[in-house]
Order: sequence, then structure tokens, then C-alpha cells
Amino acid sequence: MAPLTHDDIYQLVREPIDTAALTHQVRAPEDGATVTFDGFVRNQSHNRPTLYLDYEAYESMALAKMREIGAQLHEKYRIHRVAMVHRLGRLQIGETSVFIAVSAPHRAAAFDACRFAIDTLKRTVPIWKKEYFEDGAVWADGELPPAPAATPRAKRAS
Amino acid sequence: MSLAHSPAAGYNSPVPPVSQTIRIKVLLFGRLKELTGHGEDSAEIADAATIEQLFALYAARHPELAKYRTSVVASRNQEFAAWDTPLRSGDEVAFLPPVSGG
Repeated sequence: MAPLTHDDIYQLVREPIDTAALTHQVRAPEDGATVTFDGFVRNQSHNRPTLYLDYEAYESMALAKMREIGAQLHEKYRIHRVAMVHRLGRLQIGETSVFIAVSAPHRAAAFDACRFAIDTLKRTVPIWKKEYFEDGAVWADGELPPAPAATPRAKRAS
Repeated sequence: MSLAHSPAAGYNSPVPPVSQTIRIKVLLFGRLKELTGHGEDSAEIADAATIEQLFALYAARHPELAKYRTSVVASRNQEFAAWDTPLRSGDEVAFLPPVSGG
């Protein structure tokens, strides 16, 4: 994986995410646009009122996967900087759980990269949320990340 | 806990048996952590045992785990890994339920 040389920001935090500060941090004079994604806690899940959410992560791997997504963004799109921050711990309704900001000279690349980033994060980054209701709690339905089906050695042997 | 049986040294064998087991750091997340009661563990397993065998070791102790086998992915040293990946001493293996960040 190519080293990131873009002053990007990849963080897992336990405090509220300062979305305005991150949006400001990714922009530079040569840019013409920043696209942001602000994901926050919904007040219901499958029509059951939500009280709050607890997020946990495999932190070392989650950060590594977030940086991998960033590297992919720089390979695929003409963008400038990326900020990708996910919050962990207990979150109340309306609080930002994930925030992504992508700056670019032109808007199309920033839109495409931001969309790719959140879609890939939700599918591949090892973070889990538990939803709490009046009458109980459940682990949210998630997506099983794509993993190798077999090691190359085993494939050859079969 | 250990799957590896300790090779019984023959009474006429002058050489002590070489250790055939390795130690693996095991991490469990989400509902898997709740089921087993621990998020981080250390397991002893036969040298070159696979991730599949490591999971079976835990499923033997916590039978409820077995039904999650098809809805779990594994990682080895922070990379998603195939179930037939052979393990080496000091590896960090995690069992990951479907992810739901965002």
C-alpha cells in the first residue's frame, strides 16, 4: 500500500466529533469543493424507538482499514485530502457517529470519493453497534466483510 | 485451553518431547464477546493449526458459538483471512461478526 502523503485524518474517538473543524481542515487554496458525509444516530430502528447506541471496534484493525480506504480514494479519484472519523462508546439520538470529508479541485471527484468511502467503511471496517430499546437491546444487522475463501496454498492443493 | 494432546514420552526415550503447541492471541467482538464472556484470550493450539480449528476450540467450550460460524469472518494479524490459514506462534486472530459501523 502506498504511504499516505496527503495530510489525511483517520481517527477513532470517544468524544463528540467536531464536524465543522474537520470540514475546515481538509480544504486548501487549490481546492474548489469539499463533500462531507455526516452519519448520526436515528431515533428508531425497524419502527422501534431507539434510546441510544453503543459502538465498539477492533481498533487497530479498524484504523488500518480506514487508512486502506483512504489509499484507495487517492488511487481512484482526483481528490486532495480525506478526513474519516468514527466515534465509539455510547451515542445519543442525533449525535454524529461517523464523519467523512473529502476535498478536491472539482466537485465530481469529491462526491464520488465520499460515497465510495462511506459505502466501503460500512462493509469492511470492524466496528459494531448495539441498539438499545425500552424493552431490550440487539446487535445491529451488519454486513459480513469479504474475506479470502481459501489460502492460495490450499487452493493449489485441492 | 488446548486441543493439542501432549505427546507422552516413551519411558525409554532419552529426549524430552519438543513442544508442539503455539500460543495465539484471540479476540472476540460483538455478540461473540458476550457469548463467551471474554473479548481477549490466549489460546494454546497445535503448531500450524488453522483458524478453523481455533474456532472449533472455542465452539467446543461455548457450544452456542457453533451456530455463528457461517456469519463470522476471521482476521489474522489485522487482515481478513481464510479459514484454512495455518497459524504461527504469536499470531493475533480475531473472530468478527457482521460489521455495522457508520
